[in-house]
Amino acid sequence: MQAVGQRYFAEGVTYSRWHFGAGLSQTMGMPTGTYDITCSADLARLIEAVAGERDREAFTALFDYFAPRIKAVLMHSNTPAAAAEELAQDAMLTVWRKAAQFDRTRAGASAWIFTIARNLRIDVARREQRGRVLDLESSEFLEPPPQPDQEFDTSEREQRVRVALTHLSDDQITVMRLSFFEGKAHGDIARELGLPLGTVKSRIRLAMNRLRDLLGDLT
Amino acid sequence: MSRHHPKNLTLAEFAAGTLDEGRSLVVASHFAMCSECREFVAALEEAGGQMLADAEPVAMTKGAAARALSLLDHVANTRRVRERKQSVMPVWQPEQKTLLGYELGPWRWVAPGLRHRVVKVPSEGGTRVFMLKALPGLKIPEHSHTGTELTCVLSGAFIHEGGRYAAGDCDDADHDDGHSPMIDGDEECVCLVAMQGELKLSGLIGRLMQPFVRI
Repeated sequence: MQAVGQRYFAEGVTYSRWHFGAGLSQTMGMPTGTYDITCSADLARLIEAVAGERDREAFTALFDYFAPRIKAVLMHSNTPAAAAEELAQDAMLTVWRKAAQFDRTRAGASAWIFTIARNLRIDVARREQRGRVLDLESSEFLEPPPQPDQEFDTSEREQRVRVALTHLSDDQITVMRLSFFEGKAHGDIARELGLPLGTVKSRIRLAMNRLRDLLGDLT
Repeated sequence: MSRHHPKNLTLAEFAAGTLDEGRSLVVASHFAMCSECREFVAALEEAGGQMLADAEPVAMTKGAAARALSLLDHVANTRRVRERKQSVMPVWQPEQKTLLGYELGPWRWVAPGLRHRVVKVPSEGGTRVFMLKALPGLKIPEHSHTGTELTCVLSGAFIHEGGRYAAGDCDDADHDDGHSPMIDGDEECVCLVAMQGELKLSGLIGRLMQPFVRI
């Protein structure tokens, strides 16, 4: 468990070199192409191609990269495979629909897609009660007042977060992954790790406080 | 600029999507006035994105991408959100009938100088969401809660044992934090509150008031 948590962060994100599936594009009657995804800027370019040119190849590249990952995360949080697959599909269709809203100066590509998948998950959970998702990017929200001493560039934030995560302990990474990333309830985490609920709660609290301190210290 | 913020854990739950709708609304109101907390949430979302990019993929079923491609033409497109104005107090103005899209009930009398209105949050999950409006100088009797209470000041200010809370400030209180807030300044104070559990008034005046307080 801890080894996995460690791998998530210790070496930062490793983008596997990815090649566009030639077989699929032939069946879809599209030109074959190759997209190399080696860094987060490559993913941002793909989203921008979807937004600007409605580029289906770029969309397919994004789909092949993100859909299996979204599915994986949902299955980790105990969503059945079929439902996880459906939600991953929905998330990618939302990427197509909202691509024009992507702004690389506000968020990285993976972070943007993380929020799309997260909002869909909330939406599914609240739908029965007609609840809604509070989307900070929606027009109901105005910009917060600017803070002159904290002007973050997206790539600077990306680096800052990556470094901060390497400074968390294995235990902190594990609870953060389970509670924050997989969205598990504290009780479920306690059972999974075989720890008392109080220990889990305080560990999560300390991990989040430490993360905020680290993000502040790296200025 | 806000001086009192939601707890980091509360912000993390917001970023993870595990915070209930009522408390998310209070946190979102705070964001409108606090770029620091918004940046922390953006950093958490970046962390989520890094974890997503590094997740071990689970193959989609055969033809999943082709199915998605075949649906693209039926998907309505959303245009870019127009440039948004900057504002210090965007979420609530006295005439408003809604708060960030949520319907508001009528103001109702609770106690002398204190009014209350329900915020209609559909998926409450045990959380009650309401606004309080208190006249200058009002002192709310010492009370505690059986659950948690998350408050965002929308206008005016109050003072309690934890300090002074002005517009944009958040009070993220646990059940054991007994307090007796007092409205500060000569402006009425409007707060947005998400409360779990019950409110318990303490002291003689509190016990006398308890039957009248139906918050």
